[in-house]
Amino acid sequence: MTEPRSTSPANSTASAAAAPVLVAPVLAATELVFRRSSGFTLSTPAFALDAGESLAVRGPSGSGKSTLLALLSGELLPASGRVFAAGSEITAASESARRAYRATRCGQVFQTFELVASLDVLANVLLPFRLHGSLTLDAAAAAHARELLARVGLADKQHRAIHALSHGERQRVAIARALVTRPRIVLADEPTGNLDPALKRAIAELLLHEARTAGAALVVATHDESILPLFDGMLAIGGGAPQ
Amino acid sequence: MIALLRHASYIAARSLRHSWKRSALLAIVLGVSLGLPVALTTLLAQASSDMRARASVAPLLLGARGSEADLVFGTLFFAAQPARGLAMRDLARVESESLATAVPIAVGATARKTPVVGTTIDYFAAAARPAHGRMFATIGECVVGANAARALGGIKPGDRFFTDPASLSDLAGVFPLELTVTGVLAPTQSPDDGAIFVDLRTMWTIRGLGHRHDEPAQSATPGAVIGTVPTATGDNKIAGEALPIARSAAEGVAADFHFHGSTDDFPIDGAIVRPADAKAQAILLGRFTGKDERLQLMRPDVFTERVLERIFGVGRVLGAVAGAIALLVALVAASTFALSIRLRADELALMRRLGASRGRVALFIAAEAVALVFAGLAIAVTIAACTPLAAPLVLRAASGGL
Repeated sequence: MTEPRSTSPANSTASAAAAPVLVAPVLAATELVFRRSSGFTLSTPAFALDAGESLAVRGPSGSGKSTLLALLSGELLPASGRVFAAGSEITAASESARRAYRATRCGQVFQTFELVASLDVLANVLLPFRLHGSLTLDAAAAAHARELLARVGLADKQHRAIHALSHGERQRVAIARALVTRPRIVLADEPTGNLDPALKRAIAELLLHEARTAGAALVVATHDESILPLFDGMLAIGGGAPQ
Repeated sequence: MIALLRHASYIAARSLRHSWKRSALLAIVLGVSLGLPVALTTLLAQASSDMRARASVAPLLLGARGSEADLVFGTLFFAAQPARGLAMRDLARVESESLATAVPIAVGATARKTPVVGTTIDYFAAAARPAHGRMFATIGECVVGANAARALGGIKPGDRFFTDPASLSDLAGVFPLELTVTGVLAPTQSPDDGAIFVDLRTMWTIRGLGHRHDEPAQSATPGAVIGTVPTATGDNKIAGEALPIARSAAEGVAADFHFHGSTDDFPIDGAIVRPADAKAQAILLGRFTGKDERLQLMRPDVFTERVLERIFGVGRVLGAVAGAIALLVALVAASTFALSIRLRADELALMRRLGASRGRVALFIAAEAVALVFAGLAIAVTIAACTPLAAPLVLRAASGGL
């Protein structure tokens, strides 16, 4: 769980290569320390994720799960430590480069869905294309968005208003939006936190499945014990240690 | 850049549509606050232009001594009948020695609430000409102003209608008389457009001074004759109240109308006086300055400038108030918009978290503000464009308030 690391052809995407090659993980972080002016300090161990791998970040409320995701998305910078994502060191990048990373290579899902009420379902999924100049909203992007909506079971609700959707449907829209730019990394902050118990597992499974299908590394912050077994690895913060 | 603007306008349009009530309210508030001062200025400019143009039709106005406003607005704008009038014989005082020509005007009657103006054919020397038909010639004939013709339901030559009764309680007052349209005047953008013009004799008939009835001796109506007066040529029958009075001049019987008394004594409300030259005007004005003078001869252009000065004085105050209100309303609208943006802070923060720059988010908000301002401007322009239509109302208000 450090960067970069050697991997064998058997578990590498470059399967055609005959000799061992040096492959960087999709997402890696050294030990991170982040301090708030309030005195709160987050300290996390190093970890790394390959494409298609998933990691659950576990911890009680206020332990710093969301802060860790913000460090991984480049919204926040650590006091010490480094974050490498999709071949770049996020912690050393300019604000503009970190914005570009969030827009193009890092999909995000939030606990409260964070959808734009004035846009319909399809427009919400395509929103990232309107937010950064390096993305082009063309027919291929629209087709991919429709395909994602079909995969999350919302093919017939593309033009519904957001307020007309259930909580579960809203989170499906958020998942489709997180994947629409074909990101290398997906960060989800309590994606099942606002859902009925019956929906929690279904949404978690959907998120995992879609991230794996897209070949993205998935980091999910959660305090929901019931979905932890679904992930490849777990990182406990607020006293815990990576497993 | 084009793609960025396209995205900005898309997001702005969706947002405005999503909160369409708030958007419409803000646009209307902006439009009204921007349009009001412009409308006021336009309105006053238009009204003053119309008033000056109208005043230029009559170099001088002759009327009973009293309110100049009554005389001007009554005889030139047909707003209301002056409180006091004069007699036809009074015109001789301005027409003597060929110093001027006088065009009598009698107002006060209406037909379907449209003012009926009694005058002579000379009135039209410097005014409207028929676009269709011909001028009136006999009792009961009328020509109709362009707007009045429209207001009366697209009336045309050959159509007939009755004048309005004065009031049910005024038994001795104005009686309805059937009028026949002989022409529709070409539009002049003056009060003439909204009036019905008849010959003075028709107006006197409307006022009950002239009439047509059967020969009393030949009338089959009981009570048509209430007595006999012997004369050298035979007995004259005395007509009773029961003798039917005809209220129509149609069927070629206009010549049967007659007036009791001398038309020199018949009333008019004023007269447009056209002096032969400046010298004649000065002489005439000097003739009506005596303390005991019961008539007035005044210059409508001078009066108009005085009125406009008052209107513009009020207008300046109103303009300042409207400007202050506009500024206040614009500030309130801007605050409301800012508040609505603040209420969408989560949405804007989301855009930032998803990778949008501050500039791009600001552009989205700016696009929304620009769209609202454009909608407001469109409303303001519409208000300003419609303002000239309200100019006659200003004239009417001015004439009623003075």
